[in-house]
Amino acid sequence: MTNLNGKAYAMNAITPMKPWKTPILKAFFFILGVVKPLQKDLKNLSFIHFARWVSVGRHSLPHLSEQQPHEDLTYDYLLFFSNFNGTWNQYIDAFSSVLYRGLDAIWFWSEKYPGSRPVTAFKRYIALVQFDTDYYYNVYPHSATNDVKAALRVHDALAAFARTSQSLSPADFGKAWLELKATVAPDLGSTGIAPEGT
Amino acid sequence: MANISGKVYGLTILSPIIEDNRLEICHSMELRWYLSQLPRDCRSPFAQLSSTYLARLVVMDDVVFVGHPAHEDHLKSRYLIFESNFDGDLDTYLRRMATETKEFVEAVWKHCVGFPGTNDVAAFLAYMKKCQLNTTFYFADVNDQTVESTLTALKTQAALAHFMEKHEGMPAAELQRAFREFYQRLSKSPALPRGGNQLRDIRQEKIPHD
Repeated sequence: MTNLNGKAYAMNAITPMKPWKTPILKAFFFILGVVKPLQKDLKNLSFIHFARWVSVGRHSLPHLSEQQPHEDLTYDYLLFFSNFNGTWNQYIDAFSSVLYRGLDAIWFWSEKYPGSRPVTAFKRYIALVQFDTDYYYNVYPHSATNDVKAALRVHDALAAFARTSQSLSPADFGKAWLELKATVAPDLGSTGIAPEGT
Repeated sequence: MANISGKVYGLTILSPIIEDNRLEICHSMELRWYLSQLPRDCRSPFAQLSSTYLARLVVMDDVVFVGHPAHEDHLKSRYLIFESNFDGDLDTYLRRMATETKEFVEAVWKHCVGFPGTNDVAAFLAYMKKCQLNTTFYFADVNDQTVESTLTALKTQAALAHFMEKHEGMPAAELQRAFREFYQRLSKSPALPRGGNQLRDIRQEKIPHD
């Protein structure tokens, strides 16, 4: 399945918005970008490598040649691209149970958005507005977001240990080694194999 | 700027695909066929573009009708969406696309309206920027690293786990000697392959590093 590459899933979604609502949504995104604590839940979920929302005006689609017909759209469109770990169902469930306030504030402005709760109607809507990926590349297919964060902590701890343990006696080295093991032990595991299917 | 989060750049390109009703196989279908055959692991062109974290190519056939009473919109062109997350600046990335993955870029964008080719790099950059959409909100969970430093950390993690397992219970003096050798070898060992390898069923932590 091309939406999947290793532990990452590529989601694409597009929703129509009445043009007068677009500036309101942009203002919300501006606030979300500036007030970092508002991103706390997104950060704490820790299973999204990268995600973006792109608002496209109905007259703003790229027009590159006179041979290309001009688009004649009624709505502005909101594009959503996400690179997350886990299955589609887990992702939507997590959105609905943890991020429902933020998501409702974003997609409330899209036509026929049912709200993220109850989750059944939300899933039906996302399935309707989602479209599949034709090609997906992932630089670290074996690693989830949590694996990356754990590896960075291990790398820092090991670099610090290598620096400070150089001149230690064997006995002190042994003690320091045990401390290092205790520090990195939680980060040496794996969060599991990649999902199969959806 | 919403296209950037820390060290990571979020690029979104929307290129109109050529519509030619005289063709037996339309451009979008040919493009889809090409993309379906393109390797997705360390042989991927994006593995050559070494600063790419995650990237996708999507043919968007039309917008979505969400049901009445909403109005039914339709696109007059199909669009190729190129979404990439990379470290570094846009101009360098696009220039590398045109020079280091020339064949791939030609094979994909030759199906798109107004594509000038890659021989004139400046024209290619101008074309891609014309097709670029600015990100309204961009989220990058880890945004203070490069691809290189992230892969180094993943290599370190796997190697240390293996070393600890192998040297469990060893006397301190021997352990100290072994660690010095291990750490030297680790800093000289090659980076993990970008995009993984073909043997996707071999999990990273099972690959010996020392």
